[in-house]
Amino acid sequence: MKAKSLISAAVLAIAGSGMAQAESSDPIRIPINEWTGQHISAHITGTLFKKAGYDVEYVTAGAVPQFAAIAQGDLDLQPEVWTNNVGDIYPKAVESGDIVVLGQLGLQPQEGWIFPPYMKEKCPGLPSYDALYECAEAFAAADTFPKGRLITYPADWGTRSKDVVGMIELPFEPVAGGSEGAMIAEAKSAVATGDPILMMFWQPHWLFADMEMEWVAWDAAGGECVEESGQERGKACGFQQASIDKIANKDFAADYPGASAIFEAMSLDNSVQNALMLEIDQKGRALEEVVAEWIDANEATWKPWVDAGLAAK
Amino acid sequence: MSGSRIHWAWFAIIGLTLVALGFRDRLDWLMTFPTAWEIPFTDWLNTVMAAIIATFGPFFRGFSALMDHPMSWVRTVLQTVPWALTIGLLMLASYAVSGVRLVIFTFFAMFYMVLIGYWSESMNSLALVLISVPMAVMIGFAVGTAAFYSDRADRIISPTMDVLQTIPVFAYLLPILLLFGFGPVVGLIASVLYAVPPMVRNTTLGLRRVNEEVIEAGMMAGATATQMFWRVRVPNALRQILLGINQTMMAAFSMIIIASIIGGTSDIGWEVLTQIRKANVAEAILAGIVIALMAMVMDRLTAQAATARAPDGGDEPGFAERNRYWIAAGILTIVILALAQFFPFLKSYPEAWEFYPAQAMNDAFNYVLVEYAAAIKTIKTFALFYIMLPVKSGLEQTISPFSWGFEFTTPMKIGFAVVMTGIVAYAALRGRMNLAIGIALAAILLYFGITRLPWLSVAAVMVLLALQAGGTRLAIGTGLGLVFLMVAGVWPETMVSFYLCGIAVLLSFAIGTTLGVLASENDTVSAFLRPINDTLQTMPLFVILIPFVMFFKLGDFTALLAIMAYSIVPAIRYAEHGLRGVSPQVIEAARACGCTRMQMLWQVRLPLALPQLMLGLNQTIMFGVAMLVITALVGTSDLGQEIYIGLNNGDFGVGMVAGIGMAILAMIADRMTKAYSRKGQAALGQA
Repeated sequence: MKAKSLISAAVLAIAGSGMAQAESSDPIRIPINEWTGQHISAHITGTLFKKAGYDVEYVTAGAVPQFAAIAQGDLDLQPEVWTNNVGDIYPKAVESGDIVVLGQLGLQPQEGWIFPPYMKEKCPGLPSYDALYECAEAFAAADTFPKGRLITYPADWGTRSKDVVGMIELPFEPVAGGSEGAMIAEAKSAVATGDPILMMFWQPHWLFADMEMEWVAWDAAGGECVEESGQERGKACGFQQASIDKIANKDFAADYPGASAIFEAMSLDNSVQNALMLEIDQKGRALEEVVAEWIDANEATWKPWVDAGLAAK
Repeated sequence: MSGSRIHWAWFAIIGLTLVALGFRDRLDWLMTFPTAWEIPFTDWLNTVMAAIIATFGPFFRGFSALMDHPMSWVRTVLQTVPWALTIGLLMLASYAVSGVRLVIFTFFAMFYMVLIGYWSESMNSLALVLISVPMAVMIGFAVGTAAFYSDRADRIISPTMDVLQTIPVFAYLLPILLLFGFGPVVGLIASVLYAVPPMVRNTTLGLRRVNEEVIEAGMMAGATATQMFWRVRVPNALRQILLGINQTMMAAFSMIIIASIIGGTSDIGWEVLTQIRKANVAEAILAGIVIALMAMVMDRLTAQAATARAPDGGDEPGFAERNRYWIAAGILTIVILALAQFFPFLKSYPEAWEFYPAQAMNDAFNYVLVEYAAAIKTIKTFALFYIMLPVKSGLEQTISPFSWGFEFTTPMKIGFAVVMTGIVAYAALRGRMNLAIGIALAAILLYFGITRLPWLSVAAVMVLLALQAGGTRLAIGTGLGLVFLMVAGVWPETMVSFYLCGIAVLLSFAIGTTLGVLASENDTVSAFLRPINDTLQTMPLFVILIPFVMFFKLGDFTALLAIMAYSIVPAIRYAEHGLRGVSPQVIEAARACGCTRMQMLWQVRLPLALPQLMLGLNQTIMFGVAMLVITALVGTSDLGQEIYIGLNNGDFGVGMVAGIGMAILAMIADRMTKAYSRKGQAALGQA
């Protein structure tokens, strides 16, 4: 049972050592979402807090309810908020001041349209988006023919793909992805049967470890896209990249100044997440074990963060 | 309104609709409801909710803190007790209420959770149900009794129950999170709210259906009001009330997954969600089965416990005899606890002994997916081109060389119109007015498609149907409901929901009732269908969505299948229950008259079972509407999607308006089926 042990640890609270006097004696409550990358970020954060003498409690929480919970202080923080797949509930809470953004986690996300390599045979001009105009039919399905079928983000994540299709007048029919699971199911099914697929997606994501996918290339070099509006054919830059935020309840810094300093200082990049995700998802190892291993091997990386925390206490 | 006048009204609507469709290119406001007429309900709802939270927040928080204790207590007990003891006690209980067969079933069902390594998660989920079901049953029984004694109360309770069952939890998730705080208690509240309605409905129905003669006998025996209730009415209504408990239990199990989305415990629902997010078909099903199995064990146990009560009278048994199962349970507990000291695997099952066949299952699934890709595509394309798209966007839009293999030319269109007009005229001349009207409406619907009809026509048709079925009051109610949907600005989404749900309900009811009829005649069929029904109703439907998406891709067809998978269950259940409940004397009498099997079915059993069949249809509709919110996860653009948009944008009003919209749709359909059912009964002289 690979994912099991990490979940059964979710209600686990580890007693603080008592050597350091935490300002608030309540455990720090960290939400656990439904994907492995976040489990890693959450557990690394939690482990560092424990190093500084705090109690930590991991609580399973849905991606939307967690914002209400963090805003109200029922949960304390979240190290990994993807701004691309959450609606207005997050900016609203930030605006009202109940949730504070304490910087970015350090992951470098990429967003755009992906397709499996075999589509290059059916549509030779790929990966350039320009090729899509000619071979829309190669991407067509029964309900979109003769237009191509583009799977977008779920409707509640916004309409960015649809807007881009409209602006650059691509002969594609945007089909809402519904949910992350459904999008991945589409990808798995397409790759298994060799069906055409073009889908809005993001990385880092374990999907890319599981199957080969390529990115549609845009006019702007390096995928830089500052402004999504006002694109047209010949001047299309695709998508503005998401940011991955570290957030906390507004009272977190006052209640746990030390933990707050650690949280602000810490940062994780793609290579850390990818390496640990590989161990957990592909090799089926337990989350705690993999995280503990990383902690043991990278003291030089996290020591300054914990020291900053101990200094702030 | 007299018969002929209502016919003229129908023809007027049909005529005006055709005229409107003739001018559709020029009169935009006929086709899409003008935005200028919309009312900002969402803003109002948000304001009201903010005020409620500000005022009553602390009170709800207190309640939440209070409920937290029994929950964590039950959870701790279930977690601490060795798995071997829990299973042993459940097996003993199975033996006490039923017999060896249930013991074997209980063992395999519960041991499955140990074997695949989900024991701890399963117990967390069970804790939620063990708290929410008794709460729901008690509340439901009290409310259902109130509805039975007071018609005025019933007029409030009945629509409230519809609302609770049809407004998805997601629509009011934000406010309950804000009111009760984050944690398992929110999940508990959500499941109690959802599990109460079947208990209420079945209690009321059961009490109403108690035989008049039994009541009279009770009166003659001089029973007081209390005795009358507890000793006469309730025992006689027990069959129906038990069905209510059963359905409440199933509803509570189906909320496990929703409770997990809210979060707070690491339970089996959370495990399912995690696997679904990765689109791991086999892993999600393996976890989903846990919920289904748990539901089945609990269902069998409670159902048997209530029916198999020892008969009164006879010799007074001794202490040991009366309490033999309690004594056995005590001995069992001591023995297993002692054994667990020596054999630690009885306490915590070693990971090395677990059996987790996900890989093989996924391989098998992929094999089917690849091998039968062509057949799968054919099924989907057929359903899409010949059933779904014509209903949604009309033949006019659907027929093209790519879909039907030919162009829909103007002569063909004229031909279609002429043939349909001919059929309608023929039926009208033969005096079959209702048939003529029905065919005319169906022809218009098929030609133009439900989402492309003028909003005024759709509304007028529904109001007139309501008028015909239930009179002025129903017509006014229907009209007001539809006006809400228009001015709230969700009419297009409503039409998509209407089309998806409509097709799903019709198909589910037709197929489900047929299966129910077969099951009522044949115990083998019944025994075969029962676990399938239980699984469909209790296995989180999120689990089924993923394989459906892999087979049929994102879109309406997948959504249709998902709705059907869920809403077919009540159609089967109520049909079987109703047909089996037909009095044996009547059957005997009919047989004596020389009825054939078909006559027996169509002229004796089905008419007598009509109330249950209609309740089945009613529940089929309710379940169908409830599934709409799940189908949004495969990318439909209906009211369900609006709910997620509202949720993800932190906009309570948007989600609530869509939720109310669903409730309105469901209630209109419900009231109409009930009214037609009454008419049918009156026509059969049952009333």
